[in-house]
Amino acid sequence: MRAETGSNSWSSRPFPSLRRSAIRVAGVALGLLGLAGCAAPPPTDPDALAEYKEANDKYEKLNRKAFDVTMWANKYTLRPVAKAYIWAVPRPLRNSFGSLYQTMNEPVVFFNDVGAGKPRRAGDAFVRWCINMTAGIGGLIDVANYAGYKHHDNDAGLTLATWGVPSGPYLFLPVLGPSSFRDGIGYGIDTGLSPWNYVPRGYGLITFNWAYNIMGTINGMATNVDALDQVMKDSLDPYATIRSAYQQQRQAMAEAIKNDHRATVPDWYHTR
Amino acid sequence: MQTAIPRRHALALLATCAATPVASAWAVDALTQARSFVSMFGNKLVGIVNSDMPLEKKKQDILPLLNQYVDVDAIGRYCLGRYWRIATPEQQARYIKLFHEVLVNAITDKIGDYRGVTFVVGTSAPSGDDTAVSTVINRPGQPGADTQWIISTASGSPKVVDVVGEGASLRLTQRQDYSSFIARNSGNVDALLHALDKQIANHH
Repeated sequence: MRAETGSNSWSSRPFPSLRRSAIRVAGVALGLLGLAGCAAPPPTDPDALAEYKEANDKYEKLNRKAFDVTMWANKYTLRPVAKAYIWAVPRPLRNSFGSLYQTMNEPVVFFNDVGAGKPRRAGDAFVRWCINMTAGIGGLIDVANYAGYKHHDNDAGLTLATWGVPSGPYLFLPVLGPSSFRDGIGYGIDTGLSPWNYVPRGYGLITFNWAYNIMGTINGMATNVDALDQVMKDSLDPYATIRSAYQQQRQAMAEAIKNDHRATVPDWYHTR
Repeated sequence: MQTAIPRRHALALLATCAATPVASAWAVDALTQARSFVSMFGNKLVGIVNSDMPLEKKKQDILPLLNQYVDVDAIGRYCLGRYWRIATPEQQARYIKLFHEVLVNAITDKIGDYRGVTFVVGTSAPSGDDTAVSTVINRPGQPGADTQWIISTASGSPKVVDVVGEGASLRLTQRQDYSSFIARNSGNVDALLHALDKQIANHH
């Protein structure tokens, strides 16, 4: 899964990921393999079959179980913590933490932009990283945004999508949230791309990683908690609503990257 | 040697030439019309949302706007999907009535969250038979939300038939919610009507 980068699209990331541990990646990979045996047979009625294909959810039964467990756990763990965090921490500070988390994830975005063959995007991510890590005090202030380098999301699931790799069936991963075969594999790749996993031990890395991940998770949930509450309240079938929104949004994000044909040189170069 | 264009080809060519500017002018016109419609409707909405009126008054004022500029019936039919054909005329009528209420509740519930909203109308582009108009909605202290408005003129005047937020179409998401719910209740449309009834009754 992707890091919660604090953008306002709730539906693809209502579940800020407790990310980047090799064990979890291995678990995801094993889970993907194990799923092969539990697909339900497709329906025979043509209308129902069209709907089944649209949902792209072969493992619905298992996914729904993961959804129920995750929602139950969320209700008693992360959600109250996020609510308390919203109560205790004023919005500007929360935005700062979100920006810090986003900046520290910028290398992953950069590598994926390069992988997707989008130099302009890669340049933006690179400049954002340089500006925010220095002038922005490690990302606490999104200076790059004011300088005209707006944040964009990217992850290996999307990079694979721009290469034409199909999403594969929908997956709801426990704790991590909505995903797919492709995005699940992408999550593993992103873990490998994050430089924080390559800092040698003994530099406070473990403390940093824990603090960073916990902060990112709580902050991400705080950003999305209202939207998630609303889906749980207003949907007749929240599982299907989240599935639909996630799949549409991922497709739109991949399309947006594919259709970004901006020139590599920035705008100011032409206007001089 | 002489090459001549056969007469009927020449006629076809002429017809194409004559039709092209008209067609494209019409398309451009539709795009501009949709854009100014979104701008007008958006300004009216934002005017109410940003005003100092009490919340109840805002909700009252927004109702006629929704009735006039949003094609709720068309959205409702779309959201019921394949079950619209299966439903009896009575079920259809009841559903549309309930859907109106649910949609209005969903929209008016959100008014309280928005204060100091500004929006920027971007480009418009054809989207199937309809027109998609891009906007960015800005709220203080939050990142701008890319939102597309799908405008249809099927009813005779421009009306909103869908809103696409960050790539997700509201009506498609709603349809998949409803159809999944009905499918899990053995394809029974009454189960949906009952659930919508309950949803409205629980609404404060």
